Amino acid sequence: MTIPFTHADWNAVMPATVLAAAALVVLIADLVGSRPQRYLAIAIALLGVGAAAFLAAHQYGKSYDAFFGGFIVGGFATVFQEIVLIATAGSVVLYGALGSPQRVAGMTAIMLWSACGAMFMAGAANLMMIFLGLELLSLGLYALCGSADRKTARESAMKYLILSSTASGFLIFGFALLFGATGSIRLADFVNPGLASNPLFWIGAGMFLIGLVFKLSLVPFHTWTPDVFQGAPLPVTAFMSVVTKAGTLAVFARFIYAALPAGVSDRLLLPVWIVAGISMIAGNVGMLAQHDLKRLLGYSGVAQVGYILVALAGGTPLGLRYALYYLAAYALMNLGAFAVAAAISGENEEGADLANYSGLGRRRPWLAAAMTVFLLALAGLPPTAGFLGKILILSSSVSNGYLWLAALLIAGTAISLYAYAKVIRAMYAPQEGEVREARPFVPLAWASAALCAVFVIAMAFYPLTPSNVLPLVR
Amino acid sequence: MTMILAAILLPFVAGALLFALPRNDRVLCRVVGVGVAIATFALVIAAGHGEWSHRWLSRPFVAVFHFGSSPLSLWLSLLLALCTACAIAATRIPRARDFVALLLMLEGSMLGLFLARDLLLFALFWDLMLLPVFFGLLAWGEHPATAWRYFIYNFAGGLTLLLATAAFGVIYGTTDVIGRPETHLIGAWAPWIYAGFAFAFLVKTPIWPLHTWMPPTYAALPSPMVAVVSAVQSKAGLYGFLSIGLAMMPDYVRAYATPLMILGAISLLYGAAIALVQTDAKRIVAYSSLSHLGLIVIAIASGNHLAIAGAVVYIVAHGLFSAALFLTLGYVEEREETRSLVRLGGLGWKNPRLAGALCVAALAALGLPGLAGFVGELVILIGVYQAGFTWPVIVALVAVVLAAAYMIRLYQNLMNGPQVADAPVRPDLTWIEGIAVAPLLAALVALGVDPAPLLRL
Repeated sequence: MTIPFTHADWNAVMPATVLAAAALVVLIADLVGSRPQRYLAIAIALLGVGAAAFLAAHQYGKSYDAFFGGFIVGGFATVFQEIVLIATAGSVVLYGALGSPQRVAGMTAIMLWSACGAMFMAGAANLMMIFLGLELLSLGLYALCGSADRKTARESAMKYLILSSTASGFLIFGFALLFGATGSIRLADFVNPGLASNPLFWIGAGMFLIGLVFKLSLVPFHTWTPDVFQGAPLPVTAFMSVVTKAGTLAVFARFIYAALPAGVSDRLLLPVWIVAGISMIAGNVGMLAQHDLKRLLGYSGVAQVGYILVALAGGTPLGLRYALYYLAAYALMNLGAFAVAAAISGENEEGADLANYSGLGRRRPWLAAAMTVFLLALAGLPPTAGFLGKILILSSSVSNGYLWLAALLIAGTAISLYAYAKVIRAMYAPQEGEVREARPFVPLAWASAALCAVFVIAMAFYPLTPSNVLPLVR
Repeated sequence: MTMILAAILLPFVAGALLFALPRNDRVLCRVVGVGVAIATFALVIAAGHGEWSHRWLSRPFVAVFHFGSSPLSLWLSLLLALCTACAIAATRIPRARDFVALLLMLEGSMLGLFLARDLLLFALFWDLMLLPVFFGLLAWGEHPATAWRYFIYNFAGGLTLLLATAAFGVIYGTTDVIGRPETHLIGAWAPWIYAGFAFAFLVKTPIWPLHTWMPPTYAALPSPMVAVVSAVQSKAGLYGFLSIGLAMMPDYVRAYATPLMILGAISLLYGAAIALVQTDAKRIVAYSSLSHLGLIVIAIASGNHLAIAGAVVYIVAHGLFSAALFLTLGYVEEREETRSLVRLGGLGWKNPRLAGALCVAALAALGLPGLAGFVGELVILIGVYQAGFTWPVIVALVAVVLAAAYMIRLYQNLMNGPQVADAPVRPDLTWIEGIAVAPLLAALVALGVDPAPLLRL
């Protein structure tokens, strides 16, 4: 039997393949060397990510479907893949800077394979591909979450395994029903208007959306996020907070933009928008009481995904572009905040406890300034990409007639300011008493924080929204 | 014309570069700061009516990095540069380098606000100008809760402004509209957009009942910064009413004039009444600000040309005398380590120069003829009366009498009366401190004698 795939098919997944191969090289290099090599692993991984990003960027302009319509190359998928790659690069660097030397190579490799899964999700156009990507992403994450010698890390991995499997259960059940309703696994075949009267389709699509909402950790399926985020090692939290969201949002966007029959989308998606609206409030309220940066950013992520969904509400191509812009900005500000936390981490503990930030403005003025930029960006204040992202999302929701979502976004943002500014206050308010001195200098974390800060500010003045996000499906 | 861009960027760049100075530096940072503020003053004049623009967004609406000036924004920019220079000269505070850097960033952000010709840019600087004050409250304020209250109130205003800007952009297609006379917003959405803007402006001014952030903020901020905030930042809302509200949505300003006037009148009386009974010197001036700005809101709401001309004069005059008041009260606080009227008295006998400075500023605040405050008040009252509103004029006259009472009470309690027993004698104003308030007082006299340049707008 011959494999009926062409060169074009293999070229389509070339970026992900390069990434997977780089992970293998990382492992082999670790075996060959006599001692664990922290920087070698990082260097190889970054080379792989760079090569993958280069190859993916080349696909941006051309658009074709590979694997019989299962995977779509170009435009939309490329942008999501680049965001995933940026987040992967940042997390790999942080893991290299923080993780114990024995673990770095293995965990870097797993992280790269996980990122492959997210890249598959970005281009996935049939149900099998979606599930393949999602599971590849999640399997790696289970291992990554548990990769620290703490009880909370194991707890985090366990929690994530169980809850993520539940979400996958919803997804796969939804897939089965969708297949039953349509007789096809291709998203392109769902656009048939006849399906609007088929209850099987409605139930299947509903299950599918529940699975996605679970993965996006929107209210009411968000309670696992802070726990898992808190327990996982800091670089893994950084990775998870961006890459999982990017991959799942790609699937969600492709589904709602390209795969819904006429007359279905308004009614089917209304619950999703309501959930997004509630998440913006609940996530930001949940942030108020947190004393741990990872938990705080976990709740913040709940709200930020809500903001991104507001851009998608209404289903205009312009909204998708703004969602991508905001997602890219969110990736940078989140990574930056985690990089600062990594830079002030002690030898055996992680700088996620907010107590570590008191007086940071005096001890480490530059790190504190960078952290301030990220927190302001998360709160949507100028001069950062968060500000411009908010205005783009607001204008998209206003022009699509979702004024109530815009109002909820405003209310949520006002609440969130208190939580973000609480960290700023800890850094700059004068305080008495002893402050724990952190590790002297972590150049890698420092450099990534600086890089993120520069981009977060620059993106406010050069708004690079991708001009070409279509076609989503064919 | 890049001069106008240079004027806005210079304070930011200089503020960032100040961090290169040694941490404990006290003198050099002030010299640099005053130099930069004077340089921006010169640059604003040199820029004149020059413009600078650069494309920002093409979709979902056209937004442009567009700086330019109207006569009003030019006056406010000059007032801002002058107040910043005076405030930096008067700074004597621990960690002076960081403080001067914040003051310069504050200047830059407000300069951007006044010179922005694009609504989105205006919204950007609106939020940006909150940050230096927030950091000032955090690092030098008396109580962190004050910083929250300031930030959250004003950020809420900033958010409604942002939403209104987004809606404006979507409906109108461009936000590059400030100072374009042909821009008129009408339609079903317009009242809501106006409401979004008006809320932000009323919080910022502030106007009763949205004023509760203001007295604690003014009391807690170090006096050089509160001088700038009360003199110039509180004018951002009024500037917004004049150059956005009245210019683009005059129908709605007119339609909702009565509620606006009622709020203004309540602020006018309420501020004056509270100022009469406060014992904290800075809070007296804070409440007097609430009162004075209420009068300006009444003037703007009346829509009368004469009243608006008076409002412009009074905006500048209030900036000058409130900056001078806060700076002199800062001197008093530095010397006596308290600003409670109960524990102070008779300072004037030993500190004639300090007493003189406070005297001129207080007289301008109570509207003495010959000083700029009087011109503004008088023209506003005539204009509002001409527009056919009698009751606000009566309310304002009552408030003018109250203003005389609380300002005289402030001066008398601090400078006259018996000296406090066994209080150590402290030196009078040094020449640097004197020079720091002198330009403000001189400008008050000059504009009081000849207000024509302001009235000609």
